[in-house]
Amino acid sequence: MELLLQQIFNGIMFGSTYAIVALGLTLVMGILSIPNFAHGHLYMLGGYITFFFISATGLGFWLSMLLSVITLGLIGVLMERMVYRPLTDQPHINAFIAAIGALLFLEALALVVWGPQGLRIPNPYPQNIQFLGITMGLQRLLVIGGAAVLILCLHLFMKKTLMGTTIEAVAQNREGAMLNGINVNRVSAITFGISSATAAIAASFLSPIFMLSPSMGAILGMKAFIIVILGGMGSIPGAILGGYILGLIEALGGGYVSAAYKDVFAFGALIVILSFKPTGIFGKKEA
Amino acid sequence: MFKLKQVHTNIGALQIIQDVSIEIEKGEFVALLGSNGAGKTTLFRTIAGVLKPKSGSVEFNGVPIHRLPVHKIVELGLVLCPQGRQLFPQLSVQKNLLLGAFPLRGDKKRIQKNLDRVFALFPILKERVNQQAGTFSGGEQQMLAIGRALMGEPKMLLLDEPSVGLAPLIVKHIGDIIANINHEMDTTVFLSEQNANMALNITQRGYVLESGRCVLSGQCSDLKKDEKVRKAYIGA
Repeated sequence: MELLLQQIFNGIMFGSTYAIVALGLTLVMGILSIPNFAHGHLYMLGGYITFFFISATGLGFWLSMLLSVITLGLIGVLMERMVYRPLTDQPHINAFIAAIGALLFLEALALVVWGPQGLRIPNPYPQNIQFLGITMGLQRLLVIGGAAVLILCLHLFMKKTLMGTTIEAVAQNREGAMLNGINVNRVSAITFGISSATAAIAASFLSPIFMLSPSMGAILGMKAFIIVILGGMGSIPGAILGGYILGLIEALGGGYVSAAYKDVFAFGALIVILSFKPTGIFGKKEA
Repeated sequence: MFKLKQVHTNIGALQIIQDVSIEIEKGEFVALLGSNGAGKTTLFRTIAGVLKPKSGSVEFNGVPIHRLPVHKIVELGLVLCPQGRQLFPQLSVQKNLLLGAFPLRGDKKRIQKNLDRVFALFPILKERVNQQAGTFSGGEQQMLAIGRALMGEPKMLLLDEPSVGLAPLIVKHIGDIIANINHEMDTTVFLSEQNANMALNITQRGYVLESGRCVLSGQCSDLKKDEKVRKAYIGA
């Protein structure tokens, strides 16, 4: 029983991170209708920049995280402007290639600046809490709670503000949005900024628990894609639910069978779900 | 108020619009007639800034607009209600309409006033204010599209084939409402139609487009008598 609860706790924690990263990815995919393969790498960069502010300036965890989130938001805006916008009217394959270029650039950048060895952000909340016989690190609880608050805030932003509504509008009908006087380029840039900023939040929460490495973005980016496909392309609830499901599958599979197989379970689940529901859990039929 | 001078528009390598010149005065109600494929939609998309003309100029209230991005043209008060309606299918009627008022954002009073006005024109929209736009019938979607275009208080409204795919009774209803928008709200209206019968009955003047060229123009009373127009577009 304890093992089960412990694995569920870990699964929810991983799932929280996955949900946020997938949410950011699905936002950008919905708006630009191109897959931002570099999204996982923006997450990686967010972790490193938080590390940079903590280690180089001595600012505390929260302030460093805030600065990292702002920095990543700006990098996201810049990336939309420089990498993707010039390709708006080009065949999709060009944006694919540009995304892979951006991904390689970011990974090489991290490698040059911070080196290949793993780095760790000092854990601001190393305490443990015992509850129902399982051990819960305070930082891990923070990951879960922080993700829940962030998801709620994003939901309110999308549903209750004009900016959020314009993002949905551009995703649903780009030309219709233009004809209503919406500057779609600006909306794309803002969406990219938000997406990158949320990736930085996820990375900052998780980095005190796991090592930072330049290659950590690749595997997470891949998983975020699984989740987005699993949840249904462009679906926000799908990304959230998909994130938690993947986290739980990995944790339970890893805990009960073997941790070495956790990625096998993750990708296996994708194959099984897609064979029964090809458009994903929340996916709509192609019109 | 509105001047189109020798406009040519290409889509890819194909020349779709060739040497079209049109002038419309403030408050006028003008029709653009032409069969399927004549270039009506391409011409309207050029005016709205979605497509850029290869040569020629478009002027609105003295401002050249043919190099401006679409949202700037909307801000000047020239709004296209596009063919295919281009609604936001998963958003509610309310949100679709509020997005139509995007150029007025922040001005809650004016937005509310425009919302009331649109609801008065199309009571069905008020009844279904929380319904998703994508679940509407064709006629209701057309009403929503026109309502959305009116939310931003356009000075000039371009309506691209509002009657397409609708039942005759609804076409008549929508025609009456468009005429009403022109009379009561003092909005200049440029209406593109394949349905020449409907268009010539409510507008004052018309232009006839054929293979991307403007082949005929004049008062509707004269166009109705024109042998070519009768044969090609009215079927009499």
